[in-house]
Amino acid sequence: MKGLRLSSFGLRGFAGESLTPEVVIDFAAAFGTFVDGGPVLVGRDTRLSSPMVRDSVAAGLLAAGCDVLDLGVCPAPLLQFSVPRRRAAGAIAISGGHMRAGWNALTLISADGGFLDPVSGEAVLDIYHARDFRRADWRNLGTAAEVGDFAAPYFDALEALLDAAAIRRAKLTVAIDVVNGAGCRFLEPFAQRLGFRLVAVNAEESGYMARDPEPRPRNARQVASVMPLVQAHAGFATSSDLGRVSLVAEDRETASEEYTFPLVADHVLAAAPGTVVANCCTTRMVDDVAAQHRCRVVKAPVGQAYVMAALSDEQGAIGGEGNGSVAVPRFSRAFDGLLAIGLVLEDLAQRGGTLSGRLRELPRYHIVKRQVYGEPRRCYRALELLQREDDWQAGAALDRTDGLRADWDDGWVHVRASRTEPLVRVLSEARQRPQAEGRAADLCRRLEREL
Amino acid sequence: MKEFLKVGISGVRGVVGATFTPQLAAAFARAFGAFVGRGGVVVGRDTRPSGDLIERAVTAGLQSVGCQPLLAGIVPTPTVGILVRDLGARGGIAITASHNPAPWNALKFMGRDGLFLDRAHAEELFDIYHQGQFDLVAEEDLPAAEDVADPTAGHFGRVCAYVDAAAIRRRAPRVAVDACNGVGALHTRRFLEQLGCDVALCHDMPTGDFEREPEPLPEHLGALSALVTSRRCDVGFAQDPDGDRLAIVDEHGRPLGEDLTVAFAVQAVLDRHQRGPVAIHLSTSRAVQDVAEKRGAAVTRTRIGEINVVTSMLALGAPVGGEGNGGVIVPAVHPGRDSFVGMALVLELLAREGRTVSQLRQAVPRYALLKDKVRCRPEQVPEALRLLRRRHEGGKVNLLDGVFVEFADAWVHARPSNTEPVIRLSAEAPIREAAARLLQEARDTLAPALGEQKR
Repeated sequence: MKGLRLSSFGLRGFAGESLTPEVVIDFAAAFGTFVDGGPVLVGRDTRLSSPMVRDSVAAGLLAAGCDVLDLGVCPAPLLQFSVPRRRAAGAIAISGGHMRAGWNALTLISADGGFLDPVSGEAVLDIYHARDFRRADWRNLGTAAEVGDFAAPYFDALEALLDAAAIRRAKLTVAIDVVNGAGCRFLEPFAQRLGFRLVAVNAEESGYMARDPEPRPRNARQVASVMPLVQAHAGFATSSDLGRVSLVAEDRETASEEYTFPLVADHVLAAAPGTVVANCCTTRMVDDVAAQHRCRVVKAPVGQAYVMAALSDEQGAIGGEGNGSVAVPRFSRAFDGLLAIGLVLEDLAQRGGTLSGRLRELPRYHIVKRQVYGEPRRCYRALELLQREDDWQAGAALDRTDGLRADWDDGWVHVRASRTEPLVRVLSEARQRPQAEGRAADLCRRLEREL
Repeated sequence: MKEFLKVGISGVRGVVGATFTPQLAAAFARAFGAFVGRGGVVVGRDTRPSGDLIERAVTAGLQSVGCQPLLAGIVPTPTVGILVRDLGARGGIAITASHNPAPWNALKFMGRDGLFLDRAHAEELFDIYHQGQFDLVAEEDLPAAEDVADPTAGHFGRVCAYVDAAAIRRRAPRVAVDACNGVGALHTRRFLEQLGCDVALCHDMPTGDFEREPEPLPEHLGALSALVTSRRCDVGFAQDPDGDRLAIVDEHGRPLGEDLTVAFAVQAVLDRHQRGPVAIHLSTSRAVQDVAEKRGAAVTRTRIGEINVVTSMLALGAPVGGEGNGGVIVPAVHPGRDSFVGMALVLELLAREGRTVSQLRQAVPRYALLKDKVRCRPEQVPEALRLLRRRHEGGKVNLLDGVFVEFADAWVHARPSNTEPVIRLSAEAPIREAAARLLQEARDTLAPALGEQKR
């Protein structure tokens, strides 16, 4: 059984098992209750279960008295961008994001376009569990309307933010793989606005996951394979909701998704220095890049909501995570793959040179990501036991912002129970690959013993 | 009325914002999908504001078990049944609380024959619902919902083919319609114009805010009467919100009472179309019986409930029948109540007889049919009905549905309601006083069983 996972950011489940219409209606009704019947935007990706989930979401919202503005197929960043501009009370994004086929999820968006903050999210969960829903009588039910013209304001703002003229002059050829996801229909206007030659890969709205949708080097092989044929200057592989992106250089080197955030941060900070927000398991490249620009780095717990909250608190210039996520608060309150691509292209256009050369300029680290499977209950216990074992953490500074992080001069490890899957994530980064591998392997062995 | 939920042979019914929720609709749709098996299921609805959200919940529930929703949108309830057969679907769900007030809504389930589920099948469906075990389909097998193009074309075409449409067109009657802001607001003008009528409408906004009481009873038809007289119409028709029931107003603006609708339909079918027996439910006026018997047709009285009438009609091979509440059933068109076939038959009668509605009404015997209800807790029902039965021991007593006692030219009927904690009483006699007396006698007879009346 692929179970239901509820958190203060939303709900995720597996079609045909845990993701039933009633659960989705309940959750949407809880959010509709939380926003007290205000208007709510709804966008979805192209997964085969998304229309069913959309109808369930709309039913729950309408019954709670919320007007539903249905954006149809809409990537999460465009949905989030649209919420404050439509003066909506919030939004629900229906998207499996980086998860494999079969999964789908609801993500709750607040009126400012950011993920719902954890305190509000807890309130929604309480309503959900108590089933204490707002129920409009027949005269006060919400009405549903389709909204079709949401992309133009987004691209207007993107064009204004970026140096589109420079990108156009650079005459770039760019390959982008959007996993047949919600981004498909937005690639052409994106390319037209920024004036590059687009080579779209996996860009049919079939909902068929032509690859694992998580942006990782191994999942960027398809886009890498077409790049020599079209002599592309850069390649990108996004998640199916356009939230995350990983880079492929012109020499077909599929860069770790960890490079996206530091590269974009380097570019943004060079033009306008400011505070950087990263999560507590993001590559040290970000710290090094920020130091070069004499900027501060603030560490937040893992997750878009926490990074955004810290960006607000610190009035940060840029935020992101090592999984290929970047947010620029003066543009929107979303992790935005299109924005990240646009900033990388702007960087290439303004500096000249190649993407592979640009990546080599960044500080070099090796990061290893591992997973150890176990029941959620036991995962947390395993983390506690691990913390008590002294021998592996000699000479390290420990941090428990989120999970367990140990820092040495030459690297760090981070161990955390997944909020979305029954497993513990282990990250290890070091200057030298064997060092990173060795630490990860040691921790995995210890965790496997506990689990 | 208490805002309760009613799960029974006529579907799942409740008040929106209280008991009738999208969660419930999705769960029942899923159970229905599991009941009929993977394939298409036609979904139609009336104009109630809650229709959209309930349709979405039903759509999701059906898809989750692998049924493809075939969305007909806002259509008359009989259209849903007709589409089930025309599209070869597995079943149908009509989202409508029919003549109930606007705060209500309901799911009504139809099998692959386009008929409402009978008692045995309804019980099987509820068993599946309560057992709560479903084979949910995997993502790659989820069927996409599909809109049905021009959903009423088949229905209206079938009605127009059954009647003598040419005769109606030659007469080109002027017709007033009260659509009750229901499905008729979207479809009735087109239907009548197809028959060459000059159409005037009132309550013709498809808002689901009914403006008049949704049951087409004579006392609710003031607007229609005014329209008939001001526009000098030949006839006025009043539909209920989902277009299955029909009442008639004559050319002077006088409501005839819904029983006459079925009487006219019986006359039209037996005189011009098909011979055969007639089935009506127990509380239907004797006027219908008289019209049928005058034409040599045997009359069978059935239990209350549309599916009971339909089942009897199909078993008997009855070409026409229905319910005294204005529900005309002509199985050759569709084995379910249909105001559109009712309108067409009345118009045909006018055209062929060359007479006015009031003249046609004169030819039908007059009765007074009175209705009442008394509070009765469920556990008091058996004793109350027993008292009435004993009172008429040796008389002509029919126990099919409560107690129905027939006299030479009158009858009295007592039965427990399917929807409220009451016993419904009705009595009919040639004159009002006699009917009132029968009702009073029945009330007196029941009284000893109904001690501790609370009201």
